[in-house]
Amino acid sequence: MDPSRKDLSQADDALVLRAQNGDHDAFGELVNRHQRRVWMVCRQYVGLAEADAVAQDSLVKAFTRIGDFDRRAAFSTWLTRIAINTCLDELRRRRREAIVDDESEGDDELGLLDRVPDDAAGPEGRSMQKQAVASLLAQEKKLPPRQREIFRLRFYAEMELEEIASALDVHVGTVKTQLHRAVHKLREELGAYR
Amino acid sequence: MKSHLEEHEITAAVAGLELEAAVEEHLGSCVSCRRQVFAMREVIDARLEDLEAEAPDWERQRQEIMLQLPATPIARPKRRLWTRPLLAVAAVLVAAIGLRALWEPAPVVDPGVVSELPVEQILAEVDAMLADDSIPGFELLDQGMDDAIFDNGTS
Repeated sequence: MDPSRKDLSQADDALVLRAQNGDHDAFGELVNRHQRRVWMVCRQYVGLAEADAVAQDSLVKAFTRIGDFDRRAAFSTWLTRIAINTCLDELRRRRREAIVDDESEGDDELGLLDRVPDDAAGPEGRSMQKQAVASLLAQEKKLPPRQREIFRLRFYAEMELEEIASALDVHVGTVKTQLHRAVHKLREELGAYR
Repeated sequence: MKSHLEEHEITAAVAGLELEAAVEEHLGSCVSCRRQVFAMREVIDARLEDLEAEAPDWERQRQEIMLQLPATPIARPKRRLWTRPLLAVAAVLVAAIGLRALWEPAPVVDPGVVSELPVEQILAEVDAMLADDSIPGFELLDQGMDDAIFDNGTS
């Protein structure tokens, strides 16, 4: 864990202790610190339409169950696990596919990465980048569920490898392998080698 | 110095995995390899920006969450694991027995101590029993055969 994350984790511990005694203000501060990640995790699993509601549900659940938090993992990891479980419960309830793809399908253009200019600020550059992003999204959907899940937790929820491993209850080596495969496939499909 | 990075090294750099020192050094100096890494990262970052643009108003979300909170967290009764104290007692007992076995000195035989067994009496009884012809398997051999054996052995 890098020093800044360690400091955050220690500050979380003090807030958690207060929240465990029913201090709403302390929990409000924990919400401030972690709501972005919780929403981003939910966004990946249940899609945009439900992300806000499921994120709120996850954070309320976290407060009701905070007495169970035993500090074996970081609070952020414990909270992420609650968010993932809440998403999976929601998905089971809706009997949908594990990760909802509610975005419109992008055109699967190949070789987009090679065509992204160094400075994407101009109109042409922005257009190219938009196409590349659409293609990335389309290719993400083709990844095996576990690879897609790990890729999204890594890059969109911005989680550390160890946190992902702990949240998904898998070995960190598995996370590394799956992430490497996912990035390899995406680069290949996006035409990075052409 | 490496010529250019291998595909799996570029992939590892994009994924943010640990890199060998030589790979990091090469990335620091090679524009071509660095560009390959940045090209992919730029697309991922652009996707992240799109996602963040969809994010809700955080303060509004926080207020809505606070309104839904119960007065206090649910205090769950801790599970009583009755086996734990039992296992602890058993472990202490086993440890105590083991320690005693380790620390207890081995019995030393004092040569001055006379055995309580009547050794002489036992030996006399055994001799008497062996001398008794009636014990099966211990009868005296035929005298002629004995002589033949001894004759052969000495001639």
